[in-house]
Amino acid sequence: MIDYLWVLIVLPLLGAAALIVFGKRIGDPWSGRLASALVGTAFLIAAGFTVPLVTGNGHPETVELFSWIPVLGVEVSLLWDPLAALMTLIVTGVGFLIHVYAVGYMHGDERFGRFFGYMNLFIASMLTLVLASNFVVMFVGWELVGLSSYLLISFWFVRPAASAAGKKAFIVNRIGDWGFLVALLLIFAAFGTFEFAAVFAEAPTGLTTGMATAITLLLFLGAVGKSAQIPLYVWLPDAMEGPTPVSALIHAATMVTAGIYMIARTAVLFGLAPATLTVVATVGAATALFAATLAMGQRDIKRVLAYSTISQLGYMVMAVGVTAFTAGMFHLMTHAFFKALLFLGAGAVIHAVAGEQDMSRMGGLRKVMPITFWTMVVAWLAIAGVAPLSGFWSKDEILAAAFAHGGYFVFLWAIGVVAALLTAFYMTRLMILTFGGEERWPDGVEASEAPPILTVPLVILAVLSATAGIFNTPFRLGLEHFLEPSFEGVTQQLPPAGATVVALAALALVVALVGIFWGWARYSRRLPVEEGGFWGAAVEGYRVDDWYGRLVVAPGKAMATWAAEILDGRIIDGVVNGVGGGVKSFGNSLSGTQSGLVRWYGAVMAAGTLGLLLWLLLSGGLF
Amino acid sequence: MNNAALLPIAPEVILLAGALIVILLLVLLDRPYREGGIVAMAALAAAAVASVLQWQALGDGADNLYFSAQGVPVPRLPMVVMDHYSAFAGVVIFVVSMLGLAVAWRLVLTLGARSAEFLTLVLLAVAGLHMMTASANMIMLFIGLETASIALYVLAGFTRERANADEAAVKYFLLGSLASVVFVYGAALLFAATGSTAFYGAGSMREFLAENIVAEPAILLLAMGLVIVGMSFKVTAAPFHQWAPDVYQGAPSGIVGLMAAGVKIAGFAALGRILFSALPSQIDDWAPALAIIAGASMIIGTVLAAVQDDVKRILAYSGVAHAGYILMAFVAGNEGIGSMWFYVTTYALTVIGVFAVVAVVSGSRSGSSPLAEWSGLSSRAPVLAWVMLIMLLALAGIPFTTGFVAKVTVFTAATDAGYLWLMILALVTTIVGLYVYFRLAAVMFLEGPAGVEEVVVPPTTALVLAVAAVTTVLLGLLPWPLLDLAREALPL
Repeated sequence: MIDYLWVLIVLPLLGAAALIVFGKRIGDPWSGRLASALVGTAFLIAAGFTVPLVTGNGHPETVELFSWIPVLGVEVSLLWDPLAALMTLIVTGVGFLIHVYAVGYMHGDERFGRFFGYMNLFIASMLTLVLASNFVVMFVGWELVGLSSYLLISFWFVRPAASAAGKKAFIVNRIGDWGFLVALLLIFAAFGTFEFAAVFAEAPTGLTTGMATAITLLLFLGAVGKSAQIPLYVWLPDAMEGPTPVSALIHAATMVTAGIYMIARTAVLFGLAPATLTVVATVGAATALFAATLAMGQRDIKRVLAYSTISQLGYMVMAVGVTAFTAGMFHLMTHAFFKALLFLGAGAVIHAVAGEQDMSRMGGLRKVMPITFWTMVVAWLAIAGVAPLSGFWSKDEILAAAFAHGGYFVFLWAIGVVAALLTAFYMTRLMILTFGGEERWPDGVEASEAPPILTVPLVILAVLSATAGIFNTPFRLGLEHFLEPSFEGVTQQLPPAGATVVALAALALVVALVGIFWGWARYSRRLPVEEGGFWGAAVEGYRVDDWYGRLVVAPGKAMATWAAEILDGRIIDGVVNGVGGGVKSFGNSLSGTQSGLVRWYGAVMAAGTLGLLLWLLLSGGLF
Repeated sequence: MNNAALLPIAPEVILLAGALIVILLLVLLDRPYREGGIVAMAALAAAAVASVLQWQALGDGADNLYFSAQGVPVPRLPMVVMDHYSAFAGVVIFVVSMLGLAVAWRLVLTLGARSAEFLTLVLLAVAGLHMMTASANMIMLFIGLETASIALYVLAGFTRERANADEAAVKYFLLGSLASVVFVYGAALLFAATGSTAFYGAGSMREFLAENIVAEPAILLLAMGLVIVGMSFKVTAAPFHQWAPDVYQGAPSGIVGLMAAGVKIAGFAALGRILFSALPSQIDDWAPALAIIAGASMIIGTVLAAVQDDVKRILAYSGVAHAGYILMAFVAGNEGIGSMWFYVTTYALTVIGVFAVVAVVSGSRSGSSPLAEWSGLSSRAPVLAWVMLIMLLALAGIPFTTGFVAKVTVFTAATDAGYLWLMILALVTTIVGLYVYFRLAAVMFLEGPAGVEEVVVPPTTALVLAVAAVTTVLLGLLPWPLLDLAREALPL
């Protein structure tokens, strides 16, 4: 059975091919239905493959497909283990719900079919990344998700902002991809193979700490780009220019978590490089706090969620940095549920108020959109970390693990707690501005509840956001146990035991409630003026883009101009034209030999023959 | 006497039978032009299948040498060899010929009653070409060579209404005869030096050279030189290439692809057969000579291709340059055989495709194909222009096409054999060659359309173009299956 693992990738890939070519002919809504059905089928097949892993009868398996670059020993082969299974189920499961939602959301779009072609392409690429059993195939998936992300961000490319955002995402990610690629080269230099199994088996004995640190730092650079960490996070807020289902699927639930997945996958290597781990945890904690402060000041509902995603990704990175890989994957899962829900809910709201994204022009939607409101309440409490919703368990596990790691990491734990306070605050702000208070809609808007095709996915995600915590509570470490085969030979940081964990959980809950109360007190009665000072700076993202523009983009452009005009325009073109001219005049002078006369051709042949024979005899030493 | 089995000569027998049936059809049926074509196609397909069966039979440990007789008063040496080398050559030649014939389909239909002669000549030429690769003896090789050559001389001048077709045929015939004479003289001197005309078996050239020190090395050297010249003529290596542009330009476009590709495959295979099988001990003498011819071909082919104004002449000179690249594989001896096969095979597929486009753009009966006819092809026939572009990229050796992989393999083969200077020269000519191919691409894509008349792609040609384009890209991305086969296709 497991030999057919490739079907998971091929199904959405076929959908992508069909819809990109024939999307227009299949049209609205059938292209959406086809795409959703393919992803749904992939989910069911993946679920089937997962059963033996859950019951404990299965074991990780490598499925070899074909040999790609035999010289380097590169095989196209897939790996099915609990870690891949978990990720596959998230990608196809959440992906299916978002596809269904998008059938309703994208209704009436001119390029409806093409949209679903790209969406299916993304699913296929993401599954390639997830199911890879070696670094090369993973890199192929890694680049392909970047491509589909670019295509979907700039899907509405007639809007200049959308095409600019697509380019920005692509270019910023190139920096990370460069790190990944160099890491690949180092891995091959050190091990002579790209296969995970071989690399991880040899690493503990065959790798020096220096090499391990170099490899993992470069891999982490890749993760920083893909998972939008400081300093490469700047592309993600702009990526919100894409259609909302894209934001939910790619820029919240799945693709941006690829960095965390990759670190978890290469946990063996990271375990050998303590210095890298400290860097990882620090970057994660810093990003969690930094992005949370930015989320506080945004007026655009999707930008709040974008910064919130960056912040939550920071938590996951912090988790893998303190070697709590399971906790990181756990938060990845719960976050996929509640953040997808938040984005889809935000999409429903934006639809209801005729495309308005500014929260100061929303308000009062609670009564009009009860289903959207109540499902988003679940997500709000989940991300804020209110027990017993899923976010409470997963975030608490990360913080507890950081605390238990001790020493310097207790400081990171404290940063995480502050970020949690801010998270509860800005989410409360978002909920009240959107759903509470008076109606401040643009003129002529008649808001109403979204149709079932939008709300049904919301409800399902709400149920998951509420209950997914049971997979891994301190009382029953289900996920921990499930993922064990994938983290064989990896020392993981577990949350502390006994009273400490209860105290930490209680503290986290109090912090969440304080944050919510703070938001409630500030926004429930009136709309405070939020201009100037901190709020002005936060809306502009602390002008980080400006600084990048001055320090990186401007010199880069100057260099490119120089290369284009001087280096290419004068020097290289000059050489090329010179050579071309030379070849031509040489050719023209040779053309004289091509007279068309048989006797002349015969003479040339005879001369050539004689010349060759003479040369043979001479070099044979016979003259 | 199981050494007179049928399987080793099955492809030739099938093709001869096909040729006879085609002629018979003309007597039996009224206007059997299409039927004749189908019979010819079927014969080529059956011959290809026979070659596949040969390949498989070899895996079962079949005998290799046939039609010899030992122990009689005058020992006859083996005439035919069946090995992976000949079987691989068979599959490639027959498949390429099928594609070539498909391109000529429309030409065949317009020839009327003469189509039977045309098809017969094609089948005989192909049989001769394969005979060249499957012979175990100089004499057989020469018979194959002449069978193919004479048929091709006639084909080159087949559209008699054009004066330059006659001119092309006569030119080809005269110069080809000269080359044959040189080749035969070389074969005779080989016999003089070694006392044998056979490549294999007791008392063959190989055995003689392995066991004896040649008393008169000059004769052997002259013999090798003459044989190499004879074959260089067939594969259009410089300076024995001058017939090619004139003949390509005069011959009907519909059949030039088959002529160019088929003769190259068989010519290189036959040259390899002689050098690798009969004269492996003399590699230090013949490899430098081939290196010089290779270098001259690359330079002359590339430089002259850059100044032509006719697409068929450009392609003829490009063929000269490619002959040089393929000869690079030879200097590596046995190590280069896989590279040679890969290059020859993929180049043949590309050339068939390129000439198919020529036949569409300039008409399958026409001779010349001036650049002006190609201007703005992308707006008149975008798909055709893109297919042509893919194949031009392959000829230029751009990555993700077969041309790139083929170049890399021969470059490595030559470098590993110690011919670094040849590799560097090849790199330079490859870069200059970019100009040749992009010049044509620029004419197709950047200039205004030459006319308004619709470009009609016959369905058979479309099929050939699809095969050529798909294999060019697919084998460029995933070359390993073909490379593995090519490396197995070693001579006995």
